[in-house]
Amino acid sequence: MTTSFKVDLRRGMVVTGKWKQGRYRVERLLGEGANGKVYLVQRDRSWYALKVGMDAVDLQSEINVLQSIAKQKQHGHEPFLFDVDDLYGPDGREYPFYIMRYVLGSTLGDYLKQKGPEWFPLVGLNLLGKLAKLHQAGWVFGDLKVENVLVADYGHVELVDYGGVTGVGKGIRQFTEIYDRGYWNEGSRSADPGYDLFSFGVLCLKLHESKRLHQLTMELLPQNRSAGELIQIAELSPALKPIAGWLRKAFAGQFTDASDASAAWRALMHRRDTHRSSATPGWLKGLVAASAVLLGTSVYWLLRNVL
Amino acid sequence: MKQILLITDGCSNVGLSPVVAAAHAQSDGISVNVVGVLDHGDVGELGAAEIDEIARAGGGLSRMVNMRQLSQTVQMMTRKTVVQTIQLAVQKELKQVLGNGSIEALPPEKRADVVRVIDELGETSSLQVALLIDASASMKPKLAAVEEAIRDLMLSLQARQGKSEISVFHFPGSRHGDDCVMDLGWTSHLNGVHGIFPRLQMGGTTPTGPAIMHVIDFYRQGDYGRQSRDGTDGMMSDYVV
Repeated sequence: MTTSFKVDLRRGMVVTGKWKQGRYRVERLLGEGANGKVYLVQRDRSWYALKVGMDAVDLQSEINVLQSIAKQKQHGHEPFLFDVDDLYGPDGREYPFYIMRYVLGSTLGDYLKQKGPEWFPLVGLNLLGKLAKLHQAGWVFGDLKVENVLVADYGHVELVDYGGVTGVGKGIRQFTEIYDRGYWNEGSRSADPGYDLFSFGVLCLKLHESKRLHQLTMELLPQNRSAGELIQIAELSPALKPIAGWLRKAFAGQFTDASDASAAWRALMHRRDTHRSSATPGWLKGLVAASAVLLGTSVYWLLRNVL
Repeated sequence: MKQILLITDGCSNVGLSPVVAAAHAQSDGISVNVVGVLDHGDVGELGAAEIDEIARAGGGLSRMVNMRQLSQTVQMMTRKTVVQTIQLAVQKELKQVLGNGSIEALPPEKRADVVRVIDELGETSSLQVALLIDASASMKPKLAAVEEAIRDLMLSLQARQGKSEISVFHFPGSRHGDDCVMDLGWTSHLNGVHGIFPRLQMGGTTPTGPAIMHVIDFYRQGDYGRQSRDGTDGMMSDYVV
């Protein structure tokens, strides 16, 4: 239950694996998950991500999932999991860790802020592609949220924090309330592809209408939470209106899996209004509105002076 | 697997010490988790210390939360305690086989196998959670959140592959001399969870210890509890020993 981490690795520290003696030099903290911290580390001039956990059973459970996924992947894929071992923390206690590939990228929210919202349709498609691969292998990601999606150059997407990954048919292992289908009274917490697609829908809202979404969670009584409320936000949002139909299907669980959903998304992308509406910057709309008001006022004055 | 989940906001003040009661539960194979609900202030140092100690005596976890975190916490705690309970049982077995009970002491490859078994058992074994709700006057404004947390817990439990049941108790009872009253007998459905609390009359005392003992008795007489569920909606179907 304790989520406060006592283990704190400092820059320049070298950690050595207890069992396999792998040596890693700590560069900096990359992020904090539900059950561990992730650091950027270096070994033999290569960069890796090191995840250190507080609880051996908890972290091992995540490693088991990663190993099963790695086994299923066809050859030609880069290895994802490089090393599993224990380290001695600065406090002298042992902590389990694993080493994975380091993905250079920013979180989804930051990426769209930096590169512009026009990347959103493509990034969304790539993310659905990632989910589709997991679903095909019999897994559900579970804890899909803005923070768990890394985007590298040109919209390349990588999922991080596999702590929520659950075999189809089992209870979702880890989730975040506002992304959770059960929280919105729209279905069970059993792992099925629709669970991830629901979270994906909320993620779209979180990216474009974060404030409204937050407001909704504060205002609604638990029994009144519903997909209808989420759809309403999408309908009123210029950025989301073009995909409102897609979102409705995702929230209602009408896609068979992520590849089905991804095909529908792709079809949407090639419609012109998806791009057009998001391509009109807000300031331009403001300008149009302002000039309309100005025109109105001048016509009024003109008529008043004439009559 | 058996659990008691106590949701309270302060100190017990009547009867047997809740720490002793929790130790009793533990010796009966029931883990006791405690959630301390804070409103704007805190539960006070005494309350916090007691909450922590009840959980320790009961072999469970404790956590202080505000209203908004209640559902997530209850759900996570229950899940975590399931894993812990199985972990303890597995460690006992390991001790007999290897002479060393610690999973951490195993090399990563062997650890992977053991954890796979723990995860599988955690998902498939049957689970009973008795929720014990402090319904003293100060809890009144929090009961809506408590009810939501119960609904949310049920949702998570229903997603498990193993059989999962909850029951709900509150204390003190509305009549004098009742330490604890059953609101909902063992159920694995969401029906009946709604509308448990609105009609409750809030009592003045906080007999946490006696209430825990009451729930232990309920566990002991499992069959008796099952019969009393016939009172259709389980609404205020007082359970008197």
